Order: sequence, then structure tokens, then C-alpha cells
Amino acid sequence: MAKTGYFARKKEEYQALDAIDRRRYWTDGLLNNALYILMAIFIIFTAVVNKNFLSPSSIVNIIMLAAVSLPMALGIGGCIVLTGTDLSAGRVFGLAAGMSAAFLQNRMASKLIFEHLPATSGGWIILVMLMVMVAGAVIGLVNGFFVAKFSLHPFIVTLATQLITYGIILMFFQINGNGGGPISNVAQEFKNAVSGPCFRIAAWNVSIPWYVIFAIILVALMWFIWNKTRFGKNMFAVGSNMEAAKVSGVNVFLTTMMVHTLAGAMYGYAGFVEAARLGSVTAATGLNNECDAIAACVIGGVSFVGGTGNIGGIVLGVFVLRIIFVALNMLGINPNLQYIIKGAIILAACSLDMRKYLVKK
Amino acid sequence: MKKILALLLAVVMVFALAACGSSSSAPAATAAPAAEAPAAEEAPAAAETKVAVFWYAASDAYLSTVRAALDADLEAAGIAYQDFDGNNNQGTQLEQVQTAVTNGFNVLVVNLVTSGSADAAQQIISAAGDLPVIFFNRAVEGDGEEGTVLNGNDNIAFIGTDAPEAGHMQGKMIGDYLVANYEDVDINGDGEISYAMFMGDASNVEAIYRTQYGVEDANAVLTAAGYPELVYFNASNTDKYQLDPNGAWSSAAGNEFMSTNLAEYSEANGNMIELVIANNDDMALGAMAALQGAGYNDGNGRMIPIFGVDATQPAQDAIAAGGMTGTVKQDAQGMADAICAAVAAIAGGSSVLDASAAVADSADIYSMAEGFNNKIFVAYAPFTA
Repeated sequence: MAKTGYFARKKEEYQALDAIDRRRYWTDGLLNNALYILMAIFIIFTAVVNKNFLSPSSIVNIIMLAAVSLPMALGIGGCIVLTGTDLSAGRVFGLAAGMSAAFLQNRMASKLIFEHLPATSGGWIILVMLMVMVAGAVIGLVNGFFVAKFSLHPFIVTLATQLITYGIILMFFQINGNGGGPISNVAQEFKNAVSGPCFRIAAWNVSIPWYVIFAIILVALMWFIWNKTRFGKNMFAVGSNMEAAKVSGVNVFLTTMMVHTLAGAMYGYAGFVEAARLGSVTAATGLNNECDAIAACVIGGVSFVGGTGNIGGIVLGVFVLRIIFVALNMLGINPNLQYIIKGAIILAACSLDMRKYLVKK
Repeated sequence: MKKILALLLAVVMVFALAACGSSSSAPAATAAPAAEAPAAEEAPAAAETKVAVFWYAASDAYLSTVRAALDADLEAAGIAYQDFDGNNNQGTQLEQVQTAVTNGFNVLVVNLVTSGSADAAQQIISAAGDLPVIFFNRAVEGDGEEGTVLNGNDNIAFIGTDAPEAGHMQGKMIGDYLVANYEDVDINGDGEISYAMFMGDASNVEAIYRTQYGVEDANAVLTAAGYPELVYFNASNTDKYQLDPNGAWSSAAGNEFMSTNLAEYSEANGNMIELVIANNDDMALGAMAALQGAGYNDGNGRMIPIFGVDATQPAQDAIAAGGMTGTVKQDAQGMADAICAAVAAIAGGSSVLDASAAVADSADIYSMAEGFNNKIFVAYAPFTA
């Protein structure tokens, strides 16, 4: 009843418009939703050319790939809401992945980074996860401190910590005669706990790994933090107008620090999953990962203007990037062209996003 | 509070600068004991030799093992050295070379960033002036321009691998394996083997050769034994390879491509990928992780053969555990030994050409490239167990 009432009202509103406004109504509607419309066309096109694209196993694969890149995007999203960015994300991710692999090696392996560690048990795996999240959070805290204390642009601060973290990574990979080589021989228990199957859908012959479940929990947690906590509201207040937030009694310093710290913990968690998923980590792991995370956020409507964005948008942005990756592969498109298509989509998405704000002003 | 912070920051900066200072004096420190220890075997000139070693990227897994071996070799030989990280940027590397020359280093050991670029190598050579330069690992001459850099220049040498050799060796290994196990590998029994190929970097000559010969040579072995040629699994991909989008030869790329492929190609659909060929071990291991997620290659029978190159420790472990089938060993220790021997000979007063000839003759794994007197090849070796 309420629904028909809504549509009837909309219809009345629409009929009240004159010809010019009607045309604007449609063009605005099209442009504001252009990303969704284009993605729908793209998905239909891919599915027509290659019917496997929408097969259950392919959809599960897209969900798995998205679950891998979600944590970093969720973390970096907060930095973008504050009109900032985080260039250190990929390296923090790499450090966390290296640490996770080193702390959770198979104790029987011939070459160990740390020789005296407890046997791999559930408790130790959780402890290592917390440890790498704390390590990430510490780097995030440093980022946040310098951004908030000295009013430095996060671009510069995180550029510096990116370099510092890379140096730490290179040193970490040389521990105990490893000489910078890959860290591998990750314990099977660790792999099972993170990337092993959580449950199996027999009808489709696919299994869902644990990290997909963790990603869903993480999305719910971040949604709660962003929308239902004082910290979340403060984050948006600082992002949309720092002076106004300060005057209204928001602790800008603390909020900025906490956003970056939370982001760092997220990168730490993402690296933890990566180590389990790949089983071998190199010093180059994580290089440039922040680019995809930032792109996903921006495609999903987290604007560099600040103060706008939501968790649903970030999830959508991550899925858009992953669908593009899978679809371009399934279409067998030349890798050179894939860069151009990806770049064009990011550019178009951001322009359309910005257009909304320009219209408002 | 503000002042204390400012003071703290200033102290951090002083420490950072002090750290730079101490690292540049490190070679002097290593040189000091050197003067006494190896005096018996090396000429005293070794004490005056300062070697600068330029790495294309400190994060490279294989070259990290070379670096660990070379650092140990040079220390044992009592030669002062310093490592530089080009951070995958040819411009950075050139600036480092220029700075090192002005800083008094007198032997340059260069792992060129832009593999196969004669121009980049020439820039390094002109920046070095009359100092001896030993290039290693990454090619200094592209395909079809062999000799343009190395011939006619007596003050430089190259120690590396014959770029196409790894691809040839990988291809032959794949062919031999398939001929011996054809029925097992051909899961769907259609008489053809469908394969996936993962390429590390579109602009790297080694990657190009490996992508080409890994398949061509396998086909040659197969047709000689009366079998049909390999078939790329995805008919709509005319490149017949999947390329790491970052050109980083990474396991993440191998993993993501393979899991995407497996979503479409499976035994249930009767079009399972029956063979995986990767340009390096990292990509092979990434693909292996994806296959393991689908219940293959975990050592319990169901096995898709995977071939890589490099024989890194994780790959050797994977082969032992039944996850991977074979790889091609690039001898990191052999490479480091050759470089150190050449540097030591030059430090001892011999010419670059004499030093090269001596290294090439010193062991079976070294050989002088045909038509050169300063291009030393370190042999690859197949690794399957």
C-alpha cells in the first residue's frame, strides 16, 4: 500500500514537471546511475559472449576475489572520507603478509625464519592475526599522528611511511639467513583456518573459503562503526568540514588518529589472509595494492571531496573492479587493452561522481 | 610540548643522517680486517678496491639469494663492497652509478634495470668512464643486437645466462614429462593436452623467450613422439598467455588468473586445464595454491603438472611435496662465485678480458658465449626432484 502510494506520488510529481524539467529528470537519472547501467550492460554483454561468466563457480570466484581485496578498501575508505589517502597501505599489507608467513611456518620445514615458536594451534593463529593487526595499527597510528599533529597532507605522511615500511620489509626478509628470499612453507593448519573451505555447495560443486565469511563479518563490523558509533559520525563530520567539526566539539586530533589506526589494522588483516591464501610471500608482495583499493572506494562513491561515502559503496566498488578483471579475462581481451579499459572506467566513475557535487553547488 | 616534539623530530633527523653516514663508512670497516686476512692469496690491491654492486630491485626473490651469496663471497675475499637498490627504476640506477663513481668506487657490478636495453647499458658505461664494469643477470643487449655493447669494449664483461636457455630447458622438460605420462595428463581423454601459460612481464626478454620456447620446444618433443601439439585452454585468447598486470612475476597474479580460469574450466565441464606453465616459480606457486583450493595438487593423487623457472626454495619444497612438477634451476651461488672471482682477479691487477677468460674456464657450469671474449654464461639445470 505504502509502495503504491510512493509511486503514485512520484508519478504526480513527474506529471507536474514541464517539458524541459522532464527531459532533465531523465538525463539526470541516467547520468547519476550511469555506472550501474554501464556495469549491467557490460555484465550482460560478457555473459552473452561467454555463458560461463555467470555460472555458479564463476560467481563464487568473483565473490572470493572480492573478499580478498575488501579489507584494504574498507580501511582506506576512512582515510578518503577525511579527504586524505593512504599510500602506505600496500607496504603495510606486505609486511603483515611476511610476518604472518614467518610466524606461522610449518614447524617441520627445513628453513625457518624463527626457530623457537609454539606449534601451530588455533590460539597461536589468532594471536598472530592480532599481532600483525597491531603492527599495521602502529604504522597507521604514526600516519594519523603526523597528519593530525602537524596538519600534513596524508599524501606526504603516508609516502614517507610507505618508504619506511618497505625498508622494514626488506630487513625482515633477511632474518636468520633468509637473504631476502620468499617466506614460504606456511603451516597447513593456518591455510585451512583462513583459505580452507568453510562449507561446500554440493549442487554447484564449489566450496566457500573461510575468508569470505570473515569478509562478510568485517563488512558488518565496519558498517556498524561507520553508521552507529560516535567515532563514525565524528569521522564524517571531520571529513566534510574540519573547522565546523572542531567548533562543535569533535576531537579532530583523536578522530584522525583513530581513522588511520583502524585502516592500518585492516591492512594488517588483509596481509594475514594473503599469506594463507598464497602460501608464499615475497618482499614485493603488496606493491601498488593501495591503487586498486583507492580506485574501488572512489568508484563506490567515497569522494575525495570528503565526508561522503558508505560501506555499501565500497563493497560495490570492489565488486566492480573484480568483475572487470574476471570479465576481461573471460572475453580473452589483450592485456594492454585491459589497462586502458580499467583506467577509462575509473575516470568515468569519478567524473560522474563529481558531477553530483557540481550540480549541487 | 610543541618544543619537545620539535626537538624529538630534529633528533630523529640527525639519527637518520647518522645512519646514512655509518652505512657509507661500512665498506671501510670491512676493508680493514681484509688487509690482514686474505693478504696471502689476494694481492694487496684488494684492500684498495671498492666494489659497488647495483641491484635492479632489492625485493626480487631470486636476486636476493644471489645477493646473499655474493655478499658472503666478497666478505670472505676481503673486498670492500656496497650494495645499491635501483628500486626497478633505470633513472635511479644511473644516478647511483654516477654518485658511486664520484665517491671513489673503482669496480662496478651492475644488474641492469631495463633488461635487454643496449642504450641503458651504454649510459652506465659512459657514466663509469674508464672503470671496469661487470654486468650480470639481466641482459645488456636485446634480441638481434648481440655484440653491440659487449664487442669491442675491453673494459666490460657480462656474467649471466643465455636468455632463451631457460625457456628451451623448460619446454624440453615439459615435452619429456608429457611423453612419459600422456594418458594420465590428458584428463578428458580427447587426445590433446590443454595448457595455461602465465607470463611475468611483457617487456622482459627472458619472459618473452620463456613464454615462446616453453611451448614450442614441448611441442617439438611431442610431435617427434607422435602426439599432437599443446592446445591453449582458452580459444578466444589469441595471445595464448595471461600476463601479470603489474609486470611483477607475482604469485598473486598467478593465483588470481588460475582461480578465475578454474571457475570456467573444470573436469565437470570436461575442459579442465591439464598443464600449467609459468615464467617463474612465484607465479607457478600462485597457480598451485589456486589448484589446491579446487582439490588438486595436494599430494593426494589428483595432480595437474605445473612447471616454473628459478628453483627457489619454496618451489623445491613444493616439488618434494607433490604440488609442482618441475622447474629450471638458475644457479645463484654459481652466479655469485663467478662475479666474485672476476672482481677479485680485476682487483689483483688482471684485465677484464683475462679475468673473464679465467672465470669461464674455472668450472663446467661456466662457458664463454660464442663469438665473445667477455660474455660468460652460467648454465641452467633442470630440477624435478
